[in-house]
Amino acid sequence: MLTVTIFLPLLFAAIVLALPSRNAAAIRWTALIGACVTLAAALTLVAGFDDANAGLQWRMTTAWIPPINASYDVAVTGISLPLIVLAALMLALAMLYVLRDHDRAKGHACLFLLMATGLMGVFASQDLLLFYLFFEIALVPLYFVIGLWGHENRRYAAMKFFLYTRAGSLAMLLAFLGLYLAMAPHTFSLPAIAAAQPLAGHATAGGLVLLGLLIGFGVKLPTVPIHNWLPDAHVEAPTEGSVFLAALHLKLGAYGLIAVLLPTIAAAARQWWIALVVLGLVSLVYGAFAALGQRDFKRLVAYTSINHMGYVMLAAGIGAVASDPAVRALALTGAVFQMVSHGLLTGAMFFIAGTLQDQAGTRELTAFGGLGQRAPLFAALLAVAAFGSLGLPGLSGFIAEFQVIGATLSVNLWAALAVILGLIVATGLYLRVVLIVLMRPATSDALHEPAPRRLAVVGVLVALSALIGIAPGLLESVIAATTLTP
Amino acid sequence: MKLWAIIPELILVVLCLALVPLAGWLRGRWRQTTGAIALIGLAACMAMTARMLGWAPFTAFDGVYALDPFAAVFKLLIELAAFITVILLMTHFRGQTQATHAPVAVLFATLGAVALVSSNDLVAIVLFIQMMSMAGYVLVSLERTSRRANEAALKYFIYAAVALAVMAYGLSFLYGLTGSLDLRAIGAALHGADQLWVEVALALILAGYGFEVTMAPFHVWAPDVFAGASAPVAGFLSVAPKIAAMAALLRFLLVAFPDRMVGWPWWIAGGAVVSMTLGNLVALRQTRLKRLLAYSTIAQSGYVLAAVAVAGRTPEAVPAAAYYLAAYLFMNLGAFAVAAQLERAVGSDRFEALRGLGRRAPWTAALLTLFLLSLAGIPPLAGFMGKVLVLLRVIDGGMLWLAIIAAINMAIALYYYVHVIAQLYLHPPKHDFVLPQRVGWSAGYALCVAGTLGLGIFPWHFVALADLARHWLE
Repeated sequence: MLTVTIFLPLLFAAIVLALPSRNAAAIRWTALIGACVTLAAALTLVAGFDDANAGLQWRMTTAWIPPINASYDVAVTGISLPLIVLAALMLALAMLYVLRDHDRAKGHACLFLLMATGLMGVFASQDLLLFYLFFEIALVPLYFVIGLWGHENRRYAAMKFFLYTRAGSLAMLLAFLGLYLAMAPHTFSLPAIAAAQPLAGHATAGGLVLLGLLIGFGVKLPTVPIHNWLPDAHVEAPTEGSVFLAALHLKLGAYGLIAVLLPTIAAAARQWWIALVVLGLVSLVYGAFAALGQRDFKRLVAYTSINHMGYVMLAAGIGAVASDPAVRALALTGAVFQMVSHGLLTGAMFFIAGTLQDQAGTRELTAFGGLGQRAPLFAALLAVAAFGSLGLPGLSGFIAEFQVIGATLSVNLWAALAVILGLIVATGLYLRVVLIVLMRPATSDALHEPAPRRLAVVGVLVALSALIGIAPGLLESVIAATTLTP
Repeated sequence: MKLWAIIPELILVVLCLALVPLAGWLRGRWRQTTGAIALIGLAACMAMTARMLGWAPFTAFDGVYALDPFAAVFKLLIELAAFITVILLMTHFRGQTQATHAPVAVLFATLGAVALVSSNDLVAIVLFIQMMSMAGYVLVSLERTSRRANEAALKYFIYAAVALAVMAYGLSFLYGLTGSLDLRAIGAALHGADQLWVEVALALILAGYGFEVTMAPFHVWAPDVFAGASAPVAGFLSVAPKIAAMAALLRFLLVAFPDRMVGWPWWIAGGAVVSMTLGNLVALRQTRLKRLLAYSTIAQSGYVLAAVAVAGRTPEAVPAAAYYLAAYLFMNLGAFAVAAQLERAVGSDRFEALRGLGRRAPWTAALLTLFLLSLAGIPPLAGFMGKVLVLLRVIDGGMLWLAIIAAINMAIALYYYVHVIAQLYLHPPKHDFVLPQRVGWSAGYALCVAGTLGLGIFPWHFVALADLARHWLE
């Protein structure tokens, strides 16, 4: 079933490819149906998930390249299952969002479906070579999405995105090969490496592998100082591309940190935990301050992503060093919660930003004044998404950040204080957005309530964020299935 | 005499001898006859070579000619490259007199290349490497009316003459030091020889091998020759001689210089680093497709050389190199095939000519994208698995620094490959043209695509096949 879920988008991509490109409506509907079927398949995975089982579920293994002991090995854990569902959900919402968009619909739909297969494949892979394969399959379509459907400076942004990520993933590949060679017999199997801890006694090799993985996942996350591609890619990408980038592509890095780096090289991560924590804190504070200075709405949201993903890096550092399993579980659960929460809320923010840009013809934040009068419903959704992102209790961001801060506090007081600083700045910047959009008088009459379809897309995301904010147990129980085990 | 063991070579010899006189007689629509016969002959060669994959290693002609799975694997690749090239050449020169002559020249080059892989003797090495290059001069100058092609042929000839003469001089040192022409005897006797002279000999010999595999600093001929020759010829010359020379280099170093004598892995590693770095950096600034591919082949050679450098320590590096070369065969020939088709349609291979191809000829553009992404090492394509295997063996062989430099280079290389892809899709068209659709192009593409995808998605068969290359005569 898991394999079916992963490859359903690819199957629909093939179907879309066979449709005549003149019939854009049929292509859009096929893609949407494909996305919905994928989402349904992903939900059956949830239905069959056993919260009490800490191991791998829905596992499927077959030989792939026997001579080098690489296999097709997919499974879900409490960490990956929410992300797979998130990917399927985002695919469905993105396809719904662009339903009436007929600009080269065929290529567009195929690329998004292909990307979804790559993303879900990464989250499910239990074999490092397969992980790498899906990782890059997810990467290539986004280059074309940014380059073909993006805004003015799209070629530059697309190339920058591709080069950064590729350089990072090659560092990651070297680290994977290092892990492979350290195992006897050589294997790429993630559970086997996690169980054997082959580099536990080798400080140098462990440090090198850690460095490779940090570069690979850090670029994707992104963490300061290798975050530079993100604002450009986000700003230039089309709306649905930004959404995929923020909600899912950044999660590849976050997932890698939590589900690959920590389990495979626990010793090296414990030795260098301070580096992880510092990277996390710097990203967290820097992202907040940088966002504060932005006038371009999309660029602002892009920098808040750096802030939000800083929590994941921080949580990874705390999770690596915490000797108390409860603290470790708190940090990791918070990190995974943050991934989902950020996916929902920042996804919503980018949908909003894109819709506003379409209407006003600009991304300048000040141009969106008066939205509260002209489109009250849409403005309310924006406000809720912003409050969720700044961590207001009752919404998902609070649960996530609260847990990470709690875990940090029990390890290091000063680190927790730095987080609070980032949190205060983030609060200020979101309040500024809300004030401009809701309180200022209207500057242009271009703004209006978007189509019900687009309102629904944002509404679903905000509602889901509120749902797991009010009843976090729904998500926590799944995540904790994995993070509670040492 | 074990004639039955050299049937592929015999087929090639017979074809060469028979087709030369025949080619002079053919007129009009019979011009494609030589190509058709060559295809049948090459198919027969491949079938015979494939049968020999499982045979135990032995030698023929008093140890001069080694027949082992190692040789069979590389021969199979060379014959496959020749097969695809003949298809492309027949299509490229359709209706012109060259359509008759080109396949014969390819057969000569193939014969030289195939025999070089098996050569276990200094004289045989010199003979076959010359034979391979000699056919190359003819191939480059096929485009008789083009000044650039003739200039390229002359350059190729002069460089080859010098490099191969230097190599022969170096080989004579080995004979002088050991009194033998046989690689195995040399390998046994060389330990007692004066190491300084061994080093001088190796340096001279590497000039020749370096020339053939475009190892920097012996690569300078490649960009001019590949840009001047017609694209299918450039594709062939960047693939078949390279495969043959890589295999010959492996055999030479591992047999004649056992136990990593005089530190040859470091020499090769240095050559690999310079080749990949130089090739990539210069490729960044190119504005023509064929020249870009030429520099990319130099960089690609660097990756294979990295595997050669560790072959003395990890025997698994040999199959990794074979796998990489197989992937390289398909993706590089494919990229040159697209260049050939464009050249015919637009009369230029400048990047501007590529603009808008994604809209005008979506399939051709998609194919070029596929080949370039494979060259860049994006999964699930052949180049990806090749790079994984090479990096794996290089780390395994204790040269982590080399693997890191190679990985950095692969990241740099992505820029220029994607730059071409951006021309295809992200820029508005500049020229007005119609791409001619012919069966030959489709057949050539189909083989290259099948290889690029097959080796990438279902690598295990060929990984197992390449593994046979570890079995050879020692």
